[in-house]
Amino acid sequence: MYRFLRFPILLVGLFLAASSFAANSSQPALTTEDSLGPQVQQPIEFPHNRHAGLKDASDPAKGGMEINCQYCHTYARRSAVAGIPPLQKCIGCHQNIESVRNKPRIVELFKYWDAKKAVPWKKVHDLPDFVRFNHERHIKRFVEQQDRPVQEACGYCHGDVKEMTVARRQKSLAMGWCASCHEKDHPVVAEGGTPIAGQAYWYSFQKPAAAVDANTKARGPNDCWQCHK
Amino acid sequence: MSVSNLLENWAQVRHEHPNNDKPHDPYKWAMAIDLDACTGCNACSIACYAENNIPVVGKERFQHGQQMHWMRVERYWDEDGREFPDQGFQFLPMMCQQCEAAPCETVCPVAATNHTADGLNSQIYNRCIGSRYCSANCPFKVRYFNWYDYPTDEMVWPAEMQQQMNPDVSVRSKGVMEKCTFCVQRLSAAKVKAKGEGRIVAEGEVQTACQQACPTSAISFGNLVNPDSRVHKQWAAQQVELDKDKQAKNEEEEASELRGYRILEELRAYPSVMYLERVRESAV
Repeated sequence: MYRFLRFPILLVGLFLAASSFAANSSQPALTTEDSLGPQVQQPIEFPHNRHAGLKDASDPAKGGMEINCQYCHTYARRSAVAGIPPLQKCIGCHQNIESVRNKPRIVELFKYWDAKKAVPWKKVHDLPDFVRFNHERHIKRFVEQQDRPVQEACGYCHGDVKEMTVARRQKSLAMGWCASCHEKDHPVVAEGGTPIAGQAYWYSFQKPAAAVDANTKARGPNDCWQCHK
Repeated sequence: MSVSNLLENWAQVRHEHPNNDKPHDPYKWAMAIDLDACTGCNACSIACYAENNIPVVGKERFQHGQQMHWMRVERYWDEDGREFPDQGFQFLPMMCQQCEAAPCETVCPVAATNHTADGLNSQIYNRCIGSRYCSANCPFKVRYFNWYDYPTDEMVWPAEMQQQMNPDVSVRSKGVMEKCTFCVQRLSAAKVKAKGEGRIVAEGEVQTACQQACPTSAISFGNLVNPDSRVHKQWAAQQVELDKDKQAKNEEEEASELRGYRILEELRAYPSVMYLERVRESAV
């Protein structure tokens, strides 16, 4: 009786066993979830790879310029929003680069400049209005305190921009994705016992009596009002 | 208390003052309101409307009990036999008391309201499903429900009013609960600034909108764990302790000269707002 059910039940059982095993396995690696955003049409097809990409040793005319992200996106390290660089910033360099002066995109760029109009760039990473995300805090922690490369730190959320022309959203930027990092146990001191500046500082406020060693772990802020407004 | 902590420790939550296991450090936002200084001018209420994008519902909806004022000024008549023009009264500005053991938090079916590490009672509009259980369980009746989407067609704000909206505060939609947040957007901005400079928020660096607007400085707001803060000094001077449901000063034989008290303290909600008022014969 019910022999025909044996195989489906076996399948369901196997699935449940596999999924519960997956759920119990170690925490997922940071920022792995990829969720490609829509292709955004920009007024000028800005080549991120040409500006931020790695240099081509054999032919300097090809490859990128290895310009630091923060040279153009200068507000990221000192304000909540990274902002878009003013047209002045583009022209500041490009008025001195005669070799590309007649390329179509640069001609387009100078049209905006002569018309004294800002380039109407479109938003690629657009968080909902009820969320506050602070770029400054993340740059301070990863770049200034932990001395990680800028492109790596920006890349946690923005993906490998140096490989892109027009930037495209790479990560889902959903709440669960943010929390996958914020709910992870991070060490309070680095290898060799040096305190990781911000984290050790705040840990000492929260647990003044606790001794801090290499095994001490703390989490990023994760109460709702940290991000929701 | 984070959501994960709340879910893991559901059974233990709110059986005793939560401060016992997790001291508030480095912040505990608290308030003290001097009712003897309050003139009932309603400036705090207006400032709150402006700061927090609160909809003005109009006379008719107000009569239906659909008002949205996060900060309301209550009026209590003195019962001393005198008639209206001579009758004395007392004002009491009432807003969310940011209870340490908030009755609203435990009843929310979706944990849309829960406690932050700074001792605030947070309300997350996106998570709220509008059961209104929290409002029913709030002893202070300071939670307000969005019965309509504001601005509605018949009550649309003039276009220029859009300019005065605060971009740091969400505009709530129909079907969610809202309440005083202690101007969390200002707190959060001050904390980010202080954190960047490797210090904690100093006294006077952050003000709530109601405090800023109060013409008699009846409202003081600050970090209760900072011994230099005005609010800490006031709480200490009035011998009101955060984690007590009965203050020691009230046990004394002689009636205390101290004016500080918290509303409905005996309910063990441990409110974060202290009121100061001299008890008068006429008001008893």
